[in-house]
Amino acid sequence: MAYLLIVDDDEDFASAAAMTLRASGHEVDILLETTDALSRMKARTPDLVVLDVMFPESSSAGFDLAREIRDAGQPVAKVPILMLTAVNQKFPFGFSASDIDDHWMPVQDFLEKPVDIAVLCRRVNDLLARAT
Amino acid sequence: MTAPSSDARVSYELPLVADGGPAARSDERACLPESLLLRHVMWVCRLRWIVVAILGVFGALGLALGSLAERLGLRPQGSWPLAAAAVLALANLAFVAHARRTARSPGSRGARTNLWSQIAVDLPVLTVVVHQMGSLETYVPFAYLFHIVLACIFFPRSWSLAVTAVACGLYIACVTLEEAGILPAAGLYADASLRGLLDNLPHVRLFNVGWAVLTWLVVWYLASSLSAMVQQRDHELAETNRRLVVAQQERMQHMLRTTHELKAPFSAIHANVQLLLRGYCGEMTPAARDVLSRVSRRCQRLASEIKEMLQLANLESKAQEPLPCADLDLAEVIAACIEQVGPIVAERQVTIEADLQPARTTAAEEHLQMLFGNLLANAVAYSHPGGPVRIECRPLGNGGAQVVVEDHGIGIRPEKLARVFEPYYRTDEAVRHNRESTGLGLAIVRTVAQTYGIRLRIESAPGEGTRCVLAFPPTGRRLAPSRERKESDHGLPADRGR
Repeated sequence: MAYLLIVDDDEDFASAAAMTLRASGHEVDILLETTDALSRMKARTPDLVVLDVMFPESSSAGFDLAREIRDAGQPVAKVPILMLTAVNQKFPFGFSASDIDDHWMPVQDFLEKPVDIAVLCRRVNDLLARAT
Repeated sequence: MTAPSSDARVSYELPLVADGGPAARSDERACLPESLLLRHVMWVCRLRWIVVAILGVFGALGLALGSLAERLGLRPQGSWPLAAAAVLALANLAFVAHARRTARSPGSRGARTNLWSQIAVDLPVLTVVVHQMGSLETYVPFAYLFHIVLACIFFPRSWSLAVTAVACGLYIACVTLEEAGILPAAGLYADASLRGLLDNLPHVRLFNVGWAVLTWLVVWYLASSLSAMVQQRDHELAETNRRLVVAQQERMQHMLRTTHELKAPFSAIHANVQLLLRGYCGEMTPAARDVLSRVSRRCQRLASEIKEMLQLANLESKAQEPLPCADLDLAEVIAACIEQVGPIVAERQVTIEADLQPARTTAAEEHLQMLFGNLLANAVAYSHPGGPVRIECRPLGNGGAQVVVEDHGIGIRPEKLARVFEPYYRTDEAVRHNRESTGLGLAIVRTVAQTYGIRLRIESAPGEGTRCVLAFPPTGRRLAPSRERKESDHGLPADRGR
């Protein structure tokens, strides 16, 4: 069992994802904003973060948080990140899995919404297995 | 504007919408765009080489065949034509060098300076030619008209009038200095009586000079008026073109954003439907499960449609950064696409027969995945259960490649064949066979093919199947993606300094 943190402004999606992951045996918390995410992670470091990209106040808040996590020092900096977004393809605010980059998009994996919840669970478990 | 008020509240006043936009100012409209002026500069330089050649040949013949010229009644011209040719040649080299330097410096306004410099050199040299050939007894002075007309084309009316005035002034000065004896006697014809007659009739001379000047002024008026009208239309056309491009870009960006905004809540619906269907919230009655399955199927269809809308919009959006092109093996890309359509192949119980030979091409891998993914998905979706789908890839002798995707499915009626690439077009037969189709797959195929200059031929017969043949151009002659073609501010392809 792992402790997971979902950071997504879409409460309906986050709840559905959380229910699925809890059914897989994980403990899951949801954050609807990125503002307090880093302090929460420092208070209790999750084993994995499921992170959305676009938030109401910034279309790149997810990227910003991912970079902050990487710069936060141990143990937070080592937390695997699975990024979710509703954009596909490269556009001024879009990207694809091939864009995963240590500096620009420092995440371990990427899933495009709408997400098949079985795929989400599989990817989370794969990342957790790789991290251990 | 945000401003603090006395009770620490912050106010914000919505700014008025700025009107006018980036339309050109009237003085800017009067001038041609810099890139177009630079083309004119180079064109005039090419013309000047012809003049240099004519003067050079004229001078050389005069020196070599002086006795023949005398027999024809022509005065020996000496070396002035060669000297004039040399001056023009040197000046032309400088103009060409300056124009090339200007072309490499985006934003500079060197083309106007260059053109004015050309006029400053040409008019005095032409006046020398006029004097040497005969300012009154020949038609050479009408060569000033070339410069007047060119100035009308290149410059605003006031500037072209200045050029006309300078031409008139130089000609009048030439004739006056000749009359005063300050300039030595010259002329093309050996018979001095031709000029002598005019010298003895000052009113005729005055009339001829006045008539020439009047002719030039009339030509200036006509040419500058016509040129102003053409320039006005040119600017209106360029402005309309610019607005259309901007409107198209805004439309595509708006569509992309709207689609994204729709996709985000949809993904929540999709996820929650899956929760129910997979029993995370407890058991459901068969009737409820049936209803939810319908919702799930529509969700899947909507997901495909949104994805394809975004793909098509991204392909057509000029605002999008072009994807990096890479040297790819088509066989590897196709093999990956075959894997991607695995679930639908299994669902439709179709078999894929692949004969893939290595063939190189240069393209963005994601675009080719869209191309082959859609062609394969279509071939599978419109095949009969158990039917084979064949895909071949082979290099061509000319350095290109050919890919063939063939199915033995429902086929397409001949009268509908040309329309299947239109967005959202689906034949009745296709809808009956596969209700999940979005009608965007072949539109994406068309856009990718056109972007890379891939020739696509589709052959089909109802009830027998469909065959798509793609001919990839040789790698060396491949067109860059069309959106990479930049346009200059007047709507013509930019020179890029070449």
